[in-house]
Order: sequence, then structure tokens, then C-alpha cells
Amino acid sequence: MQQPRDIPVLDVKNLAVSYETRYGDVQAVRDVSFTIQRGEAYSIVGESGCGKSTVAFSIVSFLGRNGKIVDGHIMFQGRDLVGRPQEELRHIRGDQIAMVYQDPMQALNPSMRLGDQMAEVLIAHRGMEQKEAEEKCIQMLERVYMPDPANVMRRYPHQISGGQQQRVVIAMALLNGPSLLIMDEPTTALDVTVEATVLDLVAELQTRFDTAIMYISHNLGVVARVSDEVGVMYAGEMVERASVADAYLRPGHPYTLALMHCVPRLGMDKSSSYLYPIRGRVPPPSNLPPGCVFEPRCDFARPVCRQRRPELREVEPGHCARCHFAEQVLAGELRLPDDLIPDLDKMTTRGEGAERILSVEHARTYYEAPSKRLIGGKKQYVKAVDDVSVEVRKGRTLGIVGESGCGKSTLAKTIIGLETPTDGKLEFMGVDISTPVSQRDLDLIKNLQMVFQNPDSTLNPSFSVGSQIARPTRRFRAVPHSQVHAEVIRLLDMMRLGANYYDRLPRQLSGGEKQRVGIARAIAGRPELVLCDEPVSSLDVSVQAAVLNLLLQVQQEMGTTMAFIAHDLSVVRFFCDTIAVMYLGQVVEFGPAEAIYAPPYHPYTEALLSAVPIPDPRTEQKHIRLSGTVPSALNPPGGCRFHTRCPRRHMLPDGGRICEVEVPPWQCATEEHRIFCHIPLEELRKMDKVVTVEEETHAG
Amino acid sequence: MLVKDYMTRHPCMAEPNMSVIEAQRYMWENGIRHLPIVGDGKRLLGLVTRQTLLVDPARLGSLDMWEISRFLSGLTLKDVMVKARDVITVEEDTAVEEAARIMVENRIGCLPVVEGGVVVGIITDTDLLTQLMEMMATRVPGVRVTIRMPNVRGELAKLVAAIGAQGWGILACGGVPVPRQPDTWEAVVKIRNVPGEEVVAALGQVEGQEIVDVREM
Repeated sequence: MQQPRDIPVLDVKNLAVSYETRYGDVQAVRDVSFTIQRGEAYSIVGESGCGKSTVAFSIVSFLGRNGKIVDGHIMFQGRDLVGRPQEELRHIRGDQIAMVYQDPMQALNPSMRLGDQMAEVLIAHRGMEQKEAEEKCIQMLERVYMPDPANVMRRYPHQISGGQQQRVVIAMALLNGPSLLIMDEPTTALDVTVEATVLDLVAELQTRFDTAIMYISHNLGVVARVSDEVGVMYAGEMVERASVADAYLRPGHPYTLALMHCVPRLGMDKSSSYLYPIRGRVPPPSNLPPGCVFEPRCDFARPVCRQRRPELREVEPGHCARCHFAEQVLAGELRLPDDLIPDLDKMTTRGEGAERILSVEHARTYYEAPSKRLIGGKKQYVKAVDDVSVEVRKGRTLGIVGESGCGKSTLAKTIIGLETPTDGKLEFMGVDISTPVSQRDLDLIKNLQMVFQNPDSTLNPSFSVGSQIARPTRRFRAVPHSQVHAEVIRLLDMMRLGANYYDRLPRQLSGGEKQRVGIARAIAGRPELVLCDEPVSSLDVSVQAAVLNLLLQVQQEMGTTMAFIAHDLSVVRFFCDTIAVMYLGQVVEFGPAEAIYAPPYHPYTEALLSAVPIPDPRTEQKHIRLSGTVPSALNPPGGCRFHTRCPRRHMLPDGGRICEVEVPPWQCATEEHRIFCHIPLEELRKMDKVVTVEEETHAG
Repeated sequence: MLVKDYMTRHPCMAEPNMSVIEAQRYMWENGIRHLPIVGDGKRLLGLVTRQTLLVDPARLGSLDMWEISRFLSGLTLKDVMVKARDVITVEEDTAVEEAARIMVENRIGCLPVVEGGVVVGIITDTDLLTQLMEMMATRVPGVRVTIRMPNVRGELAKLVAAIGAQGWGILACGGVPVPRQPDTWEAVVKIRNVPGEEVVAALGQVEGQEIVDVREM
């Protein structure tokens, strides 16, 4: 054969990368090896700070001025990239390696039209004529399924949606027909439905263009969907290398095992299963443990782990792990200890038939949008929340899910009083709460608290943790004045932070710890209802598990009611008792968690469920993709708001004409489960389950 | 059955200023026989094969030892490659047999696949043999029968009808004129999941046709 197919596109051998710092060289990546064949997708997973991106940057030699490859080889198409002159590398980068970054907005020039940016690639690299280059770009945009490509070429990046931006970036990366495409968290910033379409696109590129793909992600579900082979990185080392099926179902390294157990799978719920957090955090590369790098966080650590660094060795054909006891881990002989998970078994039936604590009826929150005319003109309103009715019973958890821009956060802000409702009846413990927070009395504020998404921007950077928790404690008179300090210590203990955190400043804490402080502050006044707005979405999976467990514990100990907003359907399913699915300002399905995740589905819920990436290679999902983007809330479609994208409209007579004209009725599947759709319940009941798991073949 | 289905996408390539010595090592280490030489944007500039890398002894004969080493170390691919204007190329949408004809008539072993001056792949003799192999379903077990028939319209249809009557599936089928016998054709048919005797029994009945060879493979 002229090109034996076994020349890998990329063969990384014992790569080590260091960054020069004021305190000497810091080894960010050590001894990383992997190969990617032509047309194969290889994933690298790990928590943040594990060196995933450093590996990617070293391949394209983008390490920055202080980064350098200190050891190893990067063989690209059989030739070593290490030590080649910059000029040659620049050629290869432009022509044969392309990279797609996490945030499409940062990869696109905001001041240039998309067409010009894309054509520039061809004009600069291939010396093409403007006209010809533009034609090529339009063709490429069509290939990535961009609607109306000729029009998109004339727009600026801010005029298209996030998913479309990412498509433009991918199209741009493919213009030169690269043999290797490096994708660094390309879907992290996108909604699940958009993410699903981007992942479909990646899979297609792989087969159609024979492009080798190196996919970096922290999301185990995404990795299971796109790739065949996976490398797990921890603290700058490759700790496991295996096929996706092996790594997910029979991990050989305790870190991989722990990662698999700290994310909820779709269908898990809090009454029947646990999340295992990983204690501690990733060690900084300047201060690594002497033995196994994972030893301080490992639940199976033995003395030998502290003394000797394990080598990456082949445990079985095609499956490598860096652990002294890999065989035992693989055989499932080592089990995660139970003391990590709080005692949560009394969670199950509490709150059944309890009184209604919060009820929202026909709430509307409109934002006024400036009229396009200079003088006069009709006022326009962004209908962020439009006729929403939900209720929460005492001690239970309400989950609110939906794509971004569906009004989840506005609903939360309306309840908490940061926005004033335009219309509707909001009642909390029998008190009307349609007043803004500044006019509410202290008792109401005390009983209605919130945990925010981003702990960085909600903690005051110049006050110590202790004083920030002490303030609400004192204001709400939760305890007598003399006991405030003791109460704060108690709260810190409850958050598993300890009294020594009292005097620390927020910048001295990690993301997970900051979020715990945020929770401690919210529960300091012993509120009846806590609203959590995406409390775990900015955290690493291992920390996410710990925070979720903590919230469960708080709920159990204090009997707090919670409203939990998230876009991750697996987390919501795990955490909530009742779920409201929102689309474009309206609730489309409302009911108990288990009912939402089984037929009858609202067509939108069905699409969301089929899009959510599941970290289990055995699962089969129905393939339903929503076309188009969420319509503008300024001028929502008439009738059923979902009709423009609904994949199930054809089930109705006349192609679903009724959906365009008439507002759908609320259909009650059970007493508590209602669906906002024209399609008769019998039809909806007949649909198959979206997610099916193959029979378990072995004990994992 | 077009070039794009059988070519190797993303072939290994080299720049014109790579030294001959480095290129030689690169090709040996990776088992490469043909190396397209590309410039910016993967535009085809030339082609290097193992033959082009052989240094003409007559040229070296006139040099002394010191000159030889200087001559060799200074040699780059630019100096030895077949220039782009002399390289025969095909496009992605060329038919595979057309590519084969070009290679046979020019007695060459590879064709760079070029779209708008840019190398998108390479197709070699090995790829064409792979295609022949796939066409004859070599990897799938079955009965392979060779049948000789007169060069008359409708003969192949008779054969196919006979196979169809038995309810068998055809894995692969091909026909060639018999060399030096312009009136006779040979058809090769591969049939799945049947014993050889049954095939002989059924196809032996076809009028005017003769089974030349039967084998299970």
C-alpha cells in the first residue's frame, strides 16, 4: 500500500510540557501518549486544570512565550513536529491542522462580516480570488447545515445565534480540508439541543472527510457520544486509555471510576441512588504528591501508592491504566466507600400531600423594549414569562428546565422580587409576593432566599467568608446576637468547610467552596424556600456531586423547600420531585419527575431528552433534532409557541394547522401531570421511550 | 466507484525545501512510495517517488569524495521532484477505471487527486487493487463460478435469471472478453450461502454456457 493505513495522523509519545514561571519551571503535562488514526475521533476528558488544553496547544505550538515542550515527540503524519522551525509549523497549522475553541464568539472577529472572515482563510492560504473564495465558503456553510448561507455571509457574528456561530467556526476550520481537527470543549457554551446538532455534525465530518478529530471535553456524556477511544487525564498525566465502552463500564483507574459515579445518569433519582463526590481537588502542578498523583483523593489508596509512582501499563489488550491495583479496580473488587455520601434515605416520601408553599398563577413578566421608531410607535414587550403557573409543596423540590432564553431565570427573579410581575398572582405561604424585594417585609425576605449561578460575582471579594454568612444571620435574627459566631461556625461545618474558613476571603477559595459559602449564606436565615439558579453548572463534575449532596442534606435537615433551575436534565431528574419544562416563556409540561421522563411526553420534552448526552455507551436514544432557533420573545409565534420547531406536528390532521392558530389546551395525563399540547394524550402515550438502556451485562 | 471513494484522503506530503536525505528517511520509516510536494494551501508543486530519489551514478562519477557529500547534503526535493506540470493528476469525480487506464497507459503507480490545484488525496495502484478485491467480494465467503459464454446479447441475462430462479443472492459479478477469442466472454459470479455442487447443477443447465471453474472461497 502506498499509504499504509496504519500511519497515525497524530502520534503523541511521552509528551511533557513545562511553563516557565517566576518560581521555576512548572510541569503542566507529563508523559502523555496517545495515537489518533485517520478518520478516528479521540477524546480527552478530565476536570479543569488537568492539562487537557495544554496538550492541544502543544500540538499546534500555541503554548505561549513561557511554555515549552521539554520531552517527547508529536508525530503528525509520520513527521515529528517538535523542534521544527516556526515557519514550517505555521504552514502545517494552516493547511493540515485546524482548531475549534470553546467560545465561538472569541474565535470570530466581531468587527468583520462572516463572509469576509471565512474568505480570508482561502485568500491568504490558497491565493484564491475573492469571488471564488466566497462561493467555496457558501458551499462549506451548506455542508455544516447552516440555514440560508448566502445571507449569513453578509452578517456580523453577533447577528447569529451561538450554535450558528460555532457552525461558522467549524466551517472555517474545514475550509482547508485539515487532516486533524482539534476541538477544545466546542459545545460547552451551547444549549443541549444545539449541542446535539453540533455533535451530529462532528460525527458526520469524521466519516465524510476522513478527518481525525481530537475532542477535549469535561462532559462524559458528550465524549460517549462522539468518540470511540478515550484518554482520561488527571493532574497532567494520562491515567487511563481505553475504548469508550471499557472506560465507562469497566474503568481500570480509580479516578475514572470516581468520575463515572459523580454524575447522575438520566433516570437516576435521589431516592434510589447516590452521587459519589471526589474529595479534595486537583493538585497544582507545582506541588504534586510524590507517589501516585491521585493518591490524596483516592479511596483505595494504600501505603505503596504514596511511595511509588505507578506506570501507565496495559491491563488488558487496548486498555491501559496508571494504577498499582488496576486489575482489582477493573474486576470491580474495590468499591467506593459509603461514608462519602450523606445519610439520605429518608428523602423519599416526604412532602406527600403537604401544603402548597408557593403558588404562581398566570404570572407574566414583560420587559419593555424600545420602539424602533424615533417618535411614537407602539411599545413592544419582551414576553420573558408569559402565563406561567407552577406550584411547590412544602419540603419538595421543583425543577425548572429549558433552553437558554426560555424564561427560567426571569421566573426565579420574579418570585424572589428582583423583577416585578406584569400580571398574575404569586403567593408564598399565603402572602402575596408580587411586590419588588425592596417593599417586602423582612420576614418574607428571610423565608425566600436564593443561591446564584456564579459564586464569584455574588460574594463580596473584600469581606471574609465568616462575616458574609454572619450578616444575614444577624439581620434575620436567626439566633440571639451572642450566638451569631457559633451559628456561622455551625453552618460552615454543615457545609463541610470547617471553622478555619471563617476568616478567609473569597479569592482564597475554589469554585466549589465558594458555592458552598453561597449556600450557607442562603440558608443562614433558615428560609422556607430556597431558589437555586443553576447552582452547579459552573462547577467541575466531582465538585458538582458534592454540592448536590450538600443541598440534599440541607433539605433533609431543615425541611427546606427548593426550586432548582438547571439546563442539565440528568441533574434535574436526580434532584427534583416536580419538574416544569419551559419553552419561550411558557410552561409546556408540568408534573412529577418520573412522569416527565416517560411517555406521554410533550414534543419539546421529548426533543430535549433525546438531545441530552448520556455518559453510558449502552444507552440508545431516539434521534430527534429541533430545527431552527428559539423564536424571539419579542414577537412569539401565535397558537402553540412551539409549532415553528415541533417535530410532532404532522401527527395532527392537516399538518398541524391548529397549532398555528389555536393556543393548545392543558391536558391532564394524571392528576399532577399536565401537558400543553394539541396532540391527544392517547397519541402521546403511544410514543416510545426516548432513552433505553441495554440490559446490564455485568456488575459495574 | 469514483476516485473519491477509494483514494487516501489526507496523504502524507512534504515541502519543496525538505532535504532529499530527510525525505528518504521519512519515506522509508513510514513505508511511503509516493510523496506529493505541496506549497501554501496544499497546492501541488511536484511529486517524488522512490525512483526520483535515486541519484544517478553517472552524475556522481565525475565528483570526488568531498564534492559528493556536499552535493548530497545540499540536494532538496525541489531539485529532484517531477514538476507539477509533468505530474499526471485526476479529480475526485473521475471513475476508478479511468484512473486505472491513465496509470496503465503511462506506466505509473500513483495519481495525486487534485481539486482546483489543491491536493485532496492520492490514488495508487494498491487502491485500485483494493477496489478489484472489493468488487469481487474477496473477503466474504461464497462460491465463485467462472462461466464461458458466447459474445451475444442476452447471455448474461440468462445466467442471472438462472441464479435468480434458485433464489440465490449475487455477491459479485464481472465479465471480461477471453483473450484472443473475441467471440467468447467469461463471467465471474460469486454466490453466497450455497454448496458448490448445487451451483454446478443449476448453472450447468444453462444452454450454450459452460462452467470453466468453480471454487469455494
